[in-house]
Amino acid sequence: MSDAAQSIFWLCQVAGASFVGGVVGSISGLGGGIVIVPVLTLFMHLDIEQAIGASIVSVIAVSSGAGSVYVKDKITNVRIAMFLELFTAAGALVGAGYLARIANPQVLYVLFGLLLLVSLVPIFAKLGEELPQHVENDRMASYLRLNGSYFDKRLDRQVRYNVTGIPAAVGVMFAAGIISGILGIGAGVVKVLAHEVAMKVPTKVSTATSNFMIGVTAAAGAGFYLRRGLVLPFVVVPVAIFVLIGAFVGTIVMERMSNSIIRKIFALLLAIVGMQMLLRGILGGL
Amino acid sequence: MTSQISPSRRPTVSSVSAWVLRGGVVSSSLVMLVGIMFTFAHGTMSIQRMKSDGFDYRPGIIIEGIRHGQGKRIIEAGIYLLVFTPILRVFASSILFAFQDRDRLYAVITFVVLLLTLAGLLWIG
Repeated sequence: MSDAAQSIFWLCQVAGASFVGGVVGSISGLGGGIVIVPVLTLFMHLDIEQAIGASIVSVIAVSSGAGSVYVKDKITNVRIAMFLELFTAAGALVGAGYLARIANPQVLYVLFGLLLLVSLVPIFAKLGEELPQHVENDRMASYLRLNGSYFDKRLDRQVRYNVTGIPAAVGVMFAAGIISGILGIGAGVVKVLAHEVAMKVPTKVSTATSNFMIGVTAAAGAGFYLRRGLVLPFVVVPVAIFVLIGAFVGTIVMERMSNSIIRKIFALLLAIVGMQMLLRGILGGL
Repeated sequence: MTSQISPSRRPTVSSVSAWVLRGGVVSSSLVMLVGIMFTFAHGTMSIQRMKSDGFDYRPGIIIEGIRHGQGKRIIEAGIYLLVFTPILRVFASSILFAFQDRDRLYAVITFVVLLLTLAGLLWIG
C-alpha cells in the first residue's frame, strides 16, 4: 500500500472507533474513552498516555456536543451537575496535585476495577425498573432544590423526580475526582453510579447529568496532557470530529430509549470498564 | 416603550449553556478542519508523523504558527477552543445565576467550580 493509502486507512479506523465511542458515550454518560483508549492502544499502537490524551479531548467533545442537546431538551439537571462538580473538581486537584506522587497507579487501577465490578450488584438489583419509586428529597436535596422533572419521549409524559442520598453522593464524587486526578480518566462511570444508586434519579437524568459534568472534569485534567505533548493533534482531529457526529446520533437514540434499556447498556459497560481497569492494573496498557 | 421579553425568550442557564456548548463544538471543529486542509495543502502526511507529532501548548508559538499558515498550529488552536468550551459554559452559568436569577447560592457554587477547574487546567502537572 502506498503511504497515502495507508494513512487514509489508518484514519478510517480511528474515525470508525471514534464514531462508536461517541454514540456509546453520549447514551451512557461515560464519554467514550471506554472504546477509544483500547482501540488506539491495541490496534493503532499508540502509547497508553497518548491514547488517554486523545480520549480526554474526545470526552470534552462528547460532553459538549451531547450536552448541548440534553440541556436544551431539559433532561440534564444543571443544579445537580454544578453542585456535585464542586466535589469532583476538588477531588481531582487533591488527586493530581498531591496523591499522584505517592500513589501507585497499578494498585489503584486494580482497586478501581474491583470497585466497579462490585457496584454491578446494586445496578443488577434494579435492572428492569423503569422509574425509581417512592423517593423523598433528603434535607440537603430540598435546601439545594435538586429535584426536577423532564419530558420522557418514550413514556410520552412529564416525569417528576425527587433526589436523595446527597451525603453519599458527595463522598462518591470526591472519590471519583481523586481517581480522575491520579489516573487521568474521566471516571464518568462513577458519576452515573452516584446519580443512579445513591441519589436514585431516573436513568436518563443520571446519564445526561453525568455527560454534562465529565466535560468540566476532563477540561481540568487536560492541562497535564497538553503540557506534556501527549495530545497528538493529527490523531485528535479525526477523533474529535467523529466522536461529535457519534454523540449527536447518540442523543437522538437515547431520548427515545426506555430507562431500563439504558440501564442495561450501562451495566454492560460498567462490567467492561471494570475488567479494563483491572487488566490495565495487572498488565499495563489497554 | 421597550418591548418586554417574554419568559420563554429570556436567556436561562440551560439555554445559554446549550448555546455555548454548541457554539464551542461547531467552531472548534471548523477550525480543526481548516487546519487539516492547510496541512495537506503544504505537504504530505504519514502515519509516523501522526503518531509522533505532539501538541505544543505555548500560545505564543501557536499564534506565530497561525500567522505563517501552519496547519498544525491551526489545529492546536482548535483543540484549545474545544478544551475551553466547558469552562466557558461554567463561566456563563455563574454570570447568569448571579445577575439574572439572583441565585446567590448557585452563583457561588458555580464560581468555585470555575476556579477549581481553571486551577486544574493551568497548574496541575
